[in-house]
Amino acid sequence: MIKFVDVTKTYLNGVQALKGVNLEIQDGEFVAIIGLSGAGKSTMLRSINKMIEITSGQIYIDGIDVSSIKGKELRMLRRSIGMIFQSFNLVKKMSVFNNVLSGRVAYHSTCKTILGLFPKQEKILALDSLDAMGILDKAFTRADQLSGGQQQRVALARALTQEPKVILADEPVASLDPITTIQVMDDFAKVNKEFGITIVANMHHVDLALKYATRIIGVKDGLVVFDGKSDEINDQTLVNIYGRSLKHDELLGDPNE
Amino acid sequence: MKNSEKVLSKKPKRWLINLIFGLSLILALFLSFQGSTINLLRWSTFGYAIKAMLNGFTEINPEFLFGYGSRQFVEGIVYMAIQTLAIAFIGTFLGAILALPFSFLAAERIVGKKASKIGITIITIIRVFPEIILALMFVKAIGMNPLTCVIAIGIHSIGMLGKMFSESIDNMDIGPIEALNAVGANTWQKIRYGILPQVIPELTSTTLYRFDINIRSASVLGVIGTLAGGFGALLLLASTDPHNQWNTIATLLIVIVVLVLIVDNISAYLRKKLV
Amino acid sequence: MNKFQITNGKTIIKPFNKIWFIIAILITLVIILWQFITYDPSMIDMSQLFVIVKQMFTPKNTILSQRTWGDYFAFMWELRNPLWITIQMSIGGTIIGSIFAIPFAILAARNVFKNKYISVPFRFIMNLIRTIPVILLAIIGVAMVGTGVLSGIIGFTVFSFGIMAKMLYEAIETVDMNPFEALESTGANKFQAFSYAIVPQIFSPFVSILLYIFELNIRASAILGFVGINGIGEVISVNRLYNYDRVGAAVIVLFILIFALQLINSHVRGKLQ
Repeated sequence: MIKFVDVTKTYLNGVQALKGVNLEIQDGEFVAIIGLSGAGKSTMLRSINKMIEITSGQIYIDGIDVSSIKGKELRMLRRSIGMIFQSFNLVKKMSVFNNVLSGRVAYHSTCKTILGLFPKQEKILALDSLDAMGILDKAFTRADQLSGGQQQRVALARALTQEPKVILADEPVASLDPITTIQVMDDFAKVNKEFGITIVANMHHVDLALKYATRIIGVKDGLVVFDGKSDEINDQTLVNIYGRSLKHDELLGDPNE
Repeated sequence: MKNSEKVLSKKPKRWLINLIFGLSLILALFLSFQGSTINLLRWSTFGYAIKAMLNGFTEINPEFLFGYGSRQFVEGIVYMAIQTLAIAFIGTFLGAILALPFSFLAAERIVGKKASKIGITIITIIRVFPEIILALMFVKAIGMNPLTCVIAIGIHSIGMLGKMFSESIDNMDIGPIEALNAVGANTWQKIRYGILPQVIPELTSTTLYRFDINIRSASVLGVIGTLAGGFGALLLLASTDPHNQWNTIATLLIVIVVLVLIVDNISAYLRKKLV
Repeated sequence: MNKFQITNGKTIIKPFNKIWFIIAILITLVIILWQFITYDPSMIDMSQLFVIVKQMFTPKNTILSQRTWGDYFAFMWELRNPLWITIQMSIGGTIIGSIFAIPFAILAARNVFKNKYISVPFRFIMNLIRTIPVILLAIIGVAMVGTGVLSGIIGFTVFSFGIMAKMLYEAIETVDMNPFEALESTGANKFQAFSYAIVPQIFSPFVSILLYIFELNIRASAILGFVGINGIGEVISVNRLYNYDRVGAAVIVLFILIFALQLINSHVRGKLQ
């Protein structure tokens, strides 16, 4: 369970990204965070695993106060949380297999990982994750040989190899074309249902969020202005979140049109 | 057997490649030390050498700097530093001016693909000769004097700058040349109004960078002979009996480091201003 | 003079063109610095250039010593020993200097150590070392351990260190830092994130720089002979007054080596891409 209590974040340049956020995310949920760019979506997501440090308030993950831990404790927490990025963040010159296996380094000592010594069952685990994403045959190719959609699946496989309870996804499909977007979102749905992993994702495309997420959180100016099931969303709630009606680029549309 | 286990058995043996790479590095290192007699005597003098070097820094003879007392100003290291600067500056200046026509000859944009091959070949041949070899050859024709160093650095610069100049010319925007073609300009007019205005900032920056490198060359080229200018005379003095010349070495070290740092910073400042 | 009146009566002033000012400064500098270039015009005889080229690349033929092409090539074959010494010194210096440079390069790279108080002093030390000419480093080597392979290795080590440290930190600063962030998000510590996200990206630049430095060291060995370092440079400096054919033979051998190295380098670089 992830719990935000009066969370605020003020950046050094004075920008107030979060102005008192309270919410609870239960295990196994698929949560989409929507809102204008600059509304604080990314800050919210990144503060969960302390990639960004919050200014005040508390974030609890399974009862652990994230803001109070650091060093090894923080790394152990991050180990249990996968993260997916807009630009995939793979090492392009390294093989897909090593990229996926690198999700495992926090389980071992520095010495062992620098020498690349992983137990066999973890190598199998890495390949299983690739298999679950349908790209097992690409295991020993270099990451830069893959298409964008395939690279994002490698990133998902890396997260799965962490054996996480939660996966955070920061605009996971923003740099993909519409058809690949659907495929990658299907993979997220699969990870959510089959592995029972909680998913919290920032989404630019509202229709995509409504289709895949079980719960929508609307953010505006650093505050949560909507929190409910995706079927509770209507045009009026969207105007509340966006302060205007949706623009064309905020909808993916039907890629098969 | 699961799918993933089958795939794992096909994993390429990267560690083998890494092992071979690592072992060959160690072997190369081992071979490189063959014949160097590292004995205890050497190591005992090592400590002495470090101490002597530090002493050298504290015992810099001020006569070296400006050459008063038994020496004349022209024998002082400050004079040598200015002369080094002069050799590098004039060498770079001449090299840059002469590199221009060569680079036009080697640029595909200007003379076409076939003719540019000739220009490229000439530049490549010039570049092959290290400055020290050029200097040895020009000593015969010019004499043992700083001019020989200037010419050696100038000619080597033609090769280095010519290559980079022609690359800049080949990478420039073709649009203005097309526009000049459209107004009926001839080759010289195109060079003056279409090419030079585009490439001059980049060429200047390249030349300044070359000046950086040439100041380093100029400071050591004098070793071809005592009268060849720059720090040559002092380098030769230091190398004849280095064990007892620590203060000469220390003086050289300080003056060359300061000179090169000054030139580096001036050139970096000017290059920044150009952009 | 820089004021123009156009047909409708308006005037416009053309700004002063800096270029003439710059050219004037340049010419003044050249004239001043030219005073330090002393030479005797009566000594200049450019025809000597052709004489010396002929003397370098044909066997010596004087009354006292008449050598054949056979002697010329036999001498080239004798050069294998000094050549081996040159290669030894260059390899040893390149490898040791480059390995020492790795930690310095990491500490100087601003994307890894965001702390200015770490990167700035390390950069300064590296810049300082880079300004010292290899010939002076070699003299220091000789002063420390006497002539021989070891003094050459010492000189080349410090020289290679300076270049590798600078080029490597520049390479580190251009890497993609996103994977580093991703690794940190999985709970990896800085060491693990560095070795999994950055090392794979800088491995091939490292090898290219290594080969480049090796080539630089081989080139520099030509000048080191003048300060008593053994190897091919010694052959050049010892014979430079009376045996031009031997200088020529050594130059040819050195060129062949450099040419071969360039071929290898471009091949390896192509492979690493």
